[in-house]
Amino acid sequence: MRLTVNGEPRDLHSPPLTSLLTALREELEITSPKAGCHQGGCGACTVLVDGEARRSCLLPLAAVDGAAITTLEGLGTSDNLSSVQAAFDEHYAAQCGFCTSGFIMAATALIDRTPKASREDILTALSGHVCRCTGYIKIVSAVEAAAKGDVHPERVEPSFEPEEAEVLIPGSPA
Amino acid sequence: MAKHKGRGIATIEYPTGMNQNGDPSQAWVKLKPDGRVDVFSGTVDIGQGSRTVHTQIVADTLGVPFDWVTNDNTNTDSSAVCTGSFASRGTFIGGNAVRFAAEQARERILDIASKELEIAPGDLDIVEGEVVAKGAPDRKIGIPEVAAAATWNYGELITGTGAALKPYADVSDDDGSVEIEPHSAISYAACVAEVEVDDETGEVTVERLIQVYDVGRAINPTLVEGQIEGGAMMGLGLGLLEEAYPYYPAPDHRGGEFGAYLAPALEDLPDVDNLIIENPSEDGPFGAKAIGEMANNAQPPAIVSAIYDAVGVWVTQMPATPERVLRALDGEKEPRREGKRVIFDDQLSIRTVSSAGGKGFFETDG
Repeated sequence: MRLTVNGEPRDLHSPPLTSLLTALREELEITSPKAGCHQGGCGACTVLVDGEARRSCLLPLAAVDGAAITTLEGLGTSDNLSSVQAAFDEHYAAQCGFCTSGFIMAATALIDRTPKASREDILTALSGHVCRCTGYIKIVSAVEAAAKGDVHPERVEPSFEPEEAEVLIPGSPA
Repeated sequence: MAKHKGRGIATIEYPTGMNQNGDPSQAWVKLKPDGRVDVFSGTVDIGQGSRTVHTQIVADTLGVPFDWVTNDNTNTDSSAVCTGSFASRGTFIGGNAVRFAAEQARERILDIASKELEIAPGDLDIVEGEVVAKGAPDRKIGIPEVAAAATWNYGELITGTGAALKPYADVSDDDGSVEIEPHSAISYAACVAEVEVDDETGEVTVERLIQVYDVGRAINPTLVEGQIEGGAMMGLGLGLLEEAYPYYPAPDHRGGEFGAYLAPALEDLPDVDNLIIENPSEDGPFGAKAIGEMANNAQPPAIVSAIYDAVGVWVTQMPATPERVLRALDGEKEPRREGKRVIFDDQLSIRTVSSAGGKGFFETDG
């Protein structure tokens, strides 16, 4: 089977009834989708299939042959976060992190589809996702901020500048 | 058949750390030759943010910017001992360990700076990464220069170790009673729950939680808020949804799948109003006490008390599932108190503590 994963064509050799989750994690070693419940109940395995948020634990590989898959790895990097990732960072919307990638993928799909998503839209889109650390409150505020475009993805430069230390090392060339 | 609204309150006091059996945390702080700071501690950050809090404590104790400090708590083999992330001890006990370590390293920094500036250590202070002479702010030396001088000129490693240990308790041979030093910080909190109870279905909806937490000094208010908000939903789950019995304590009876154990979802999210009170402790780092486990203690009793306020019956076993609420409604009813807010019922409270054989509090629906 052939998928486009995070923009790159990939050939997969797992059996056709392998779940997309297992194929991503074990064959492609893409580990941001988490195996929470294996029943579609917790949302931790959510990825985008042709732009739509889907539970990768419930999708047999055969059902997504040819599709474009996006995981958290395909959104942003630590130097260049996507707006939803930046909003999660700013709003402290993750604690242990297990559910985070699922929430970010679902929120990304929502905002792609409904750029000015309301609070009700957000609550509906995220309602199938379970978080046991944050109490959801900061997750909802992060996604609200991302929907309003109220994010600041540029990273703060560290204040440490080692060249400030001008020390002559004894015996070293001047 | 109607929906009734009620309001209940619960208060808690919560001690920090283990209270009997010794409870050590250790930490080690050292400076790189360029002045950056390495912290090694055993406290595990499980998302609550102890790594951030410890980094703040070290940075503020030393007087250096936050991002000069790297907190390496990744190696449990070589790191200093910490008994773990539990008992709400990360900030108070683990935080004290890194504070003591940083205080020691600070003394070493001042010693070296004293030699370089030829000013007594007692007349020096550290401000934003620079050692400055008190009263003469132009006489100063940067910590990078101090660390370099220690490394290349004096042949020294600027370092500090710290350990916080709650002492072992004396257990009496006669009656097994325990005497402990009451030195741990006690945090206080209160939670008001507003609920709506459907007396036909037994369903309880928590509409609002108002929570007040005294955490000593909130070293990182955002992280404290995260603990309080997370705890609110955990407490709501314990009060309404999360059933351990009959699974506990026999693991083979437990729910075998995700759907057999109800956890609070977004649709259960009430309005949550939080207030943090800073009432500093004497011996915590920068006056900090604890926030952690205590964050999910007050909601279940507040919810049950709000149910009583709404429909006049006590649910005596938690969680207050619709079945238990209906069974309680079928039983002997307390007189309804529509329009009244019952926070403390003298008669009931007396019966509660002396109810052996009596009707009521300990007689459960099961």
